Amino acid sequence: MIEVSHLVKTYTRGDGTPVPALKDISFTIGRGEFVTIRGASGSGKSSLLNILGCLDTPTSGSYRLDGEDVSHYSDERRSHTRNRKIGFVFQSFNLLPRTTAAENVEIPALYTGGAVDRGRALAILGQVGLGDRAEHYVTELSGGEQQRVAIARALMNDPPLLLADEPTGNLDSAAGESVMQLLTDLHREGRTIVLVTHDEGVAAYAEREIMIRDGLVAADRPQPGHAGSGAARRQA
Amino acid sequence: MNIGRTIAMALRTLSRNRLRSFLMMLGVMIGVASLTALASVGEATKQETLRRFKRMLGTFDVVIVNPGGASTRGMPSLTSAPPVLKQGDVEAIAKEVALVKQVAVTQFAFDVDVKYGDKTVSPSIMGVSPNWAEVRGEEVALGEGITAEDNDTMARVVVIGEDLRKALFPAEDPIGKQIRIADVPFQVKGVMAPRGMGPGGASMDYTLAIPVATASRRLFNRDYYTGMLAQLRDPAQADRAIADITALLRERHGIVPPGEDDFTVTSPKAQVARVTDVGSTLSKVMLGVAAIATLIGGVVIMSLMLIAVSERRREIGVRRAVGASRRDILAQFLTEAAVVSFLGGLVGILVGVGGTLVAASLTKLPPAILWSAIGGAALMSIAVGLVFGLQPAWRAANVDPIQALRS
Ligand SMILES: Nc1ncnc2c1ncn2[C@@H]1O[C@H](COP(=O)(O)OP(=O)(O)OP(=O)(O)O)[C@@H](O)[C@H]1O
Ligand SMILES: [Mg+2]
Repeated sequence: MIEVSHLVKTYTRGDGTPVPALKDISFTIGRGEFVTIRGASGSGKSSLLNILGCLDTPTSGSYRLDGEDVSHYSDERRSHTRNRKIGFVFQSFNLLPRTTAAENVEIPALYTGGAVDRGRALAILGQVGLGDRAEHYVTELSGGEQQRVAIARALMNDPPLLLADEPTGNLDSAAGESVMQLLTDLHREGRTIVLVTHDEGVAAYAEREIMIRDGLVAADRPQPGHAGSGAARRQA
Repeated sequence: MNIGRTIAMALRTLSRNRLRSFLMMLGVMIGVASLTALASVGEATKQETLRRFKRMLGTFDVVIVNPGGASTRGMPSLTSAPPVLKQGDVEAIAKEVALVKQVAVTQFAFDVDVKYGDKTVSPSIMGVSPNWAEVRGEEVALGEGITAEDNDTMARVVVIGEDLRKALFPAEDPIGKQIRIADVPFQVKGVMAPRGMGPGGASMDYTLAIPVATASRRLFNRDYYTGMLAQLRDPAQADRAIADITALLRERHGIVPPGEDDFTVTSPKAQVARVTDVGSTLSKVMLGVAAIATLIGGVVIMSLMLIAVSERRREIGVRRAVGASRRDILAQFLTEAAVVSFLGGLVGILVGVGGTLVAASLTKLPPAILWSAIGGAALMSIAVGLVFGLQPAWRAANVDPIQALRS
């Protein structure tokens, strides 16, 4: 599904000095895998996820998504790829205010060129446990509910790949656990999930963990606590 | 994203922020309202001016010959006009200018006392040739008009205007009554049909007409005319007729270059053009003011949109993340600007048309709704939105989604 090799991302500060965020990153993620990317703050996790999500382009190196080298796609083609193949979940939910849950979920469908399927939006909201909240304004929802609306939105166009950047970062542990449970269920359905976190407990839900340190892959290993162990879950 | 959906989305966004949308609409609304109203009132004024000229001249198939050169202003009267247009001129024009069908003449005077019983009034007085009413398209409402026989016999008969009838004979039949014009007794023979206001806005019915021969020999003792109307066989030939009459009169008056004409020959069309030209200079200034209001409206749209773009960075980031391209975002904001401006224009058109109808009922001018101006205003409001929305939309399209989604 995902193949990155020798990925480099160097930002340029306002004064012109270069900031190397990713120095040399290579790995492969297969279809249906559930992977966490973990590392200290500033290690380059978000930079990597933005490239994987086609929101950003690497300075050098290649990124193949579904066998296609998307690293030098135009804005138009990257937008199309995001629309069809990728669902984003953010730490800060990023729902549109003054808009209902269902309207938020529908947004990706606006950019497909086809009709907007309200029924599908409602069905997905039901799937994330918010069937009765569809017409609520997002400001009327709790943090955990808002994040589940955001997940529903990520699922609207049925993308094979879900990318989440600290999805539980703004939630208390109970809400965080329910969000992680939801992501685990989506993984069981066959979706590929890449999740950025610095939380070991969250990482324990995944089957594989890529450690990033200073823009380099420090470790890439199967998640030891995985295999559905109750101990791992309780840590979250 | 298709345009219908983009417009629907723009309407939803605009309805979520009503106050801001209203402010964005306001300037364009005022500009378009005044443009619409001005264009309509201007058109109504022009049409009314034309109507008044038509009423004054009866028909447009004449050329007007007045004594005095081009610099002469105002209606020539026996006290103001140089004594240059004589009976010989009239006959020469009628005979020698082939384009002319017939010539009607007048001696115009005012400040003459007219008495009936104990009433004394001072209407305008016209000595007219018997064909005057025909050439001007005047009609007699009551009694009879002035005939060739009246003129030949220098009869002391008078046809009065409606306003004069009201002043002298409010409650009795005027026909056959005797009035005194400058102490000369005249018998009322008829009443003219009302003509309404002339181009200057004054009533044309406070007047009386007597045979021109009577006026010339019995009343004023003057042998020159204050005006001629030369009726044309073909109104389209007015310019040639003017040239022919000018040449003839110069010859008859012995004027050689560089001497200037001691008379003026014009066509009613030229006079209308001169009057409406003054009107259009005024409306050009006001159109400029309206255009400035519209431009200010555009600038307001631009500034409020720029503020909106920075407030809506997160929304832009979300849309980009779920698949909106730069072009989608550009189209979204451009559409919002165009829609809000168009709505402002639409309300402005309604207000402008409403204002026109109110103005029409106040001035008693029949309203003239200019559809071309309304269509133009609608298109213009869309254009204003597109032009002034461009910069904000461009800025929105270039919001960095990564920055916008952080925190
Ligand atoms: N737009 C940018 N311009 C300049 N430097 C940047 C930019 N974005 C990120 N950086 C820098 O790149 C490095 C990696 O940042 P990144 O956001 O990827 O880290 P992270 O691992 O996601 O950290 P955190 O856990 O705090 O979210 C940091 O040093 C950061 O300051
Ligand atoms: Mg980060």
